[in-house]
Amino acid sequence: MTERRRDYLTRRRLLERAAVGGAAIAVPSWLAACGGIGGGGNGNGDAGGDDDRTPRNIQISNWPLYIDIDEETRRRPTIQGFMDEYGVSVNYVEDVNDNNEYFARIQPALSQGRGIDRDIMVLTDWMAARLIRNEWVEPLDEEAMENKGNLVEALQSPNFDPERRFSMPWQSGMTGIGYNPELTGGEVTTIEQLLTDENLRGRVALLSEMPDTVGLVMLSNGDDPSQVEGGAFERAIQTIQQAVDRGQIRQFTGNEYSGMLARGELAACVAWSGDITQLQLDNPDLRFAIPEDGAMLWTDNMLIPTGGHRYTASLFMDYVYRPEIAAQVAEYVNFISPVDGAQEEMRERDEELAEDPLIFPDEEMLANTHIFDAEAADNQEYREQFQTLLGA
Amino acid sequence: MLHRRSWAVPYLLLLPGFLWLGLFFVVPIYYLAVTSLQTGDFSQGYTFDWAVGNYANAVTTYSEHLFRSVRYAGAATLIAFVIGYPLAYWIAFRGGRWKNLLLLLVIAPFFVTYLIRTIAWQTILTDQGPVVGVLRDAGFLDDTGRLLATSIAVVAGITYNFLPFMVLPLYVSLEQVDKRLVDAAQDLYASRAQAFLRVTLPLSLPGIFAGTLLTFIPAAGDFVNATLLGTPAQFMVGNVIQSRFLVVLDYPQAAALSFVLMSSVLVLIVLFARLLGTEKLMEQAR
Amino acid sequence: MSTAAATVSRPRRSAGARAWALARHHSLTVFAVLALAYLLIPIGVIVLFSFNDPAGRFNYTWQGFTTEAWRAPFGVPGLGDAMAASLQIAALASIVATILGTLIALALVRYAFRGRGATNFLIFVPMVTPEVVLGASLLALFLNLGVARGFWTIFIAHVMFNISFVVVTVRARLVGFDRSLEEAAMDLGANAWTTFTRVTLPLIAPAIFAGGLIAFALSVDDFVITSFNAGATVTFPLFVWGAARVGVPPQVNVIGTLIFLTAVGLMLANVLFQYRRERQAKGAA
Repeated sequence: MTERRRDYLTRRRLLERAAVGGAAIAVPSWLAACGGIGGGGNGNGDAGGDDDRTPRNIQISNWPLYIDIDEETRRRPTIQGFMDEYGVSVNYVEDVNDNNEYFARIQPALSQGRGIDRDIMVLTDWMAARLIRNEWVEPLDEEAMENKGNLVEALQSPNFDPERRFSMPWQSGMTGIGYNPELTGGEVTTIEQLLTDENLRGRVALLSEMPDTVGLVMLSNGDDPSQVEGGAFERAIQTIQQAVDRGQIRQFTGNEYSGMLARGELAACVAWSGDITQLQLDNPDLRFAIPEDGAMLWTDNMLIPTGGHRYTASLFMDYVYRPEIAAQVAEYVNFISPVDGAQEEMRERDEELAEDPLIFPDEEMLANTHIFDAEAADNQEYREQFQTLLGA
Repeated sequence: MLHRRSWAVPYLLLLPGFLWLGLFFVVPIYYLAVTSLQTGDFSQGYTFDWAVGNYANAVTTYSEHLFRSVRYAGAATLIAFVIGYPLAYWIAFRGGRWKNLLLLLVIAPFFVTYLIRTIAWQTILTDQGPVVGVLRDAGFLDDTGRLLATSIAVVAGITYNFLPFMVLPLYVSLEQVDKRLVDAAQDLYASRAQAFLRVTLPLSLPGIFAGTLLTFIPAAGDFVNATLLGTPAQFMVGNVIQSRFLVVLDYPQAAALSFVLMSSVLVLIVLFARLLGTEKLMEQAR
Repeated sequence: MSTAAATVSRPRRSAGARAWALARHHSLTVFAVLALAYLLIPIGVIVLFSFNDPAGRFNYTWQGFTTEAWRAPFGVPGLGDAMAASLQIAALASIVATILGTLIALALVRYAFRGRGATNFLIFVPMVTPEVVLGASLLALFLNLGVARGFWTIFIAHVMFNISFVVVTVRARLVGFDRSLEEAAMDLGANAWTTFTRVTLPLIAPAIFAGGLIAFALSVDDFVITSFNAGATVTFPLFVWGAARVGVPPQVNVIGTLIFLTAVGLMLANVLFQYRRERQAKGAA
């Protein structure tokens, strides 16, 4: 199979080069154009990944400020280290600012089987699941990855990639309850409290991320978000709708909740662990609570898009799975590191961070976290129901 | 520039702009039109089958959002006019050598991105902040009242962000008014107010029309202000299109709704132009 | 001019009327200054927060004063490049859009040609098209043409949506334009080109400048269309929107302030330069 994909690749690459001036590709292009904007469906063109096993210059797409930086040298130590060790250059582009928007940007090319000029992109679970399901990603070059085993157990077999053949976690985080005890007048430990407590009316926010918000509410309702079935989803939507109708919910936010919490517009909200860690540095009163019924665990994953250079991309993933490199990244980024051994390395760098349960949660904490059903996260009907709830 | 010129001149003048728009706007709009007539969803793919139902569905399901967009955009345009006209007048008539600098100050907020200036406003208007505090004390808001996450905040956000688009065209038109005409009117015993109403205001009508267009049209399609400053009850058509397109991946519906929005706004513009008298607004006075 | 005649025939006003006129005269200034302050308040807050000293990554509440961010304004990798890209694209796009838009405005206002009504109308359409669908459609086009996305595709997109704004702005000026000046010039023997460059253009220059400013503002602040067609180029809005997820560093405020100050500074210098030139010209005369 590799052989055939390779041939197709060469032919396709030539055709693509001719496209700029050539009429050869014009006809199929315009036919594709008549298909409108949406590509959709499975990737039926197989511009296979480059199977060449010499390190090559690569391009990485990641979220902004999601990797360690050195303000004095204006460099990114991890990237620099990788470049120096393997003698390649890395074009590190911080152009992922929203999963859906990034997807809308890459979808047209990937759906036609073309590459997107990237070798690694970092996207959240449910989006990674969508890409893997559509076969718009390349398999990892596992021979190049001796550190793959450093992946923490909790993340080793997600349902969208049970053997981690296509993705490796970059950073992880928990979704729970963030609150200000000064404004709530006490602890907030359950989602139910968030949604029904009179005291909190109008000062509560939920996330506009469906897997996070609905997942937590499902747990609160006693349903299992990792296997969405029966009327569980609808029940969760109902619960939220009631809260909205009552005026309990001020807004559905993206990460803007952090500002609202900091300024006191919110008393409590659904929040991401890493954000609360940062906010606490300026306002030690703020708290992050794992809801009694359970929290959600999300991961941003490194993937190799169609056309990416499998070998070098895998080398990079392997590089950041070295415990000392992982600690280097975690020290700056302050989200949950997916690498075993990073915590020990961290002890030598920053004792306090090494003991922070929001960066290195213990077994007990992780046992109470759940990962949202990736298939359900991508169900169009569910998405539509949630969006209608959001007002659009 | 007189009409004795050859017939080709207008077409030559139009050509470069039209080529650009033709390729980079009309073609994409064609794709959009094709998409609007498709059916399907992301997992199964989209097929073109003259699905005019998308349009009917768009109008019926989202009529509330459409009306809200028009209301908010209209309110914002009006307020922007009330704030912007005196400012534009002042710059045009009193600005002197500082005119260009003042105009630059008017668009200065755009140098820092939308997100940053909105965060700045949120900092000022926050529930625990001075502004809300004063309003609560004065009785305009009750004790738990707030400014953010309300329709007031959304309209205020839209107004603020489009104010420069009202001020600049108004300035353009006002700056051209010959002061001697105003003087002449006052010589003829008109009061300042009358001189303004009978001379300056009518002469600035093209600017008023232009400013209204540049404010209302983009404001009607806005979605960010509602997202950051509003609750679901404030969501506009732009939010729906954004949501259908990016999250639900219902491209045909998003496309159809876009065309519905576009047509609605254009109809309103035509009516508005009729109201003000098209000849005075878009064609050279002879 | 007519001043001598004017003062003779204008009726004498009472002291009260004059006081009222004075108050009214200044009330306009007061109002305008307030309006300008309203526009610039966020900039004040932004400048203030560039001196903030948060311990964490978020810059939301005032923690203390520091000049740390000012000492390393480009310390965040990618931020400076993003701003540079934004400014370059905005400068180029506003110039091109202004030229194309002015030409169209001239055609629309001064010539009665076939299709004029439709053109008038069609100019509005780009302004009213929602950015998200326009951006996606444009991306589809670029893909089908095999054009690599990056700096130039952003430039193309920005010119495209700016043209309409320039047309509407410049047209507001052309509509009320007094042709007699042009006719006078031609009567005095100037040909069409000279008339255009020496008479028309200077007179509509304020409108062209205003149109250019609008185009620049739209371009430097654009997010949605840019995000679709940016390729690997990151512009300032793209960077900030993404950074907001983990916290916008104070350096963003610093860079924003620097740009603002630079622009104002340049304009100020220009004004003072013109002033000196006029003084010298007057002196020489």
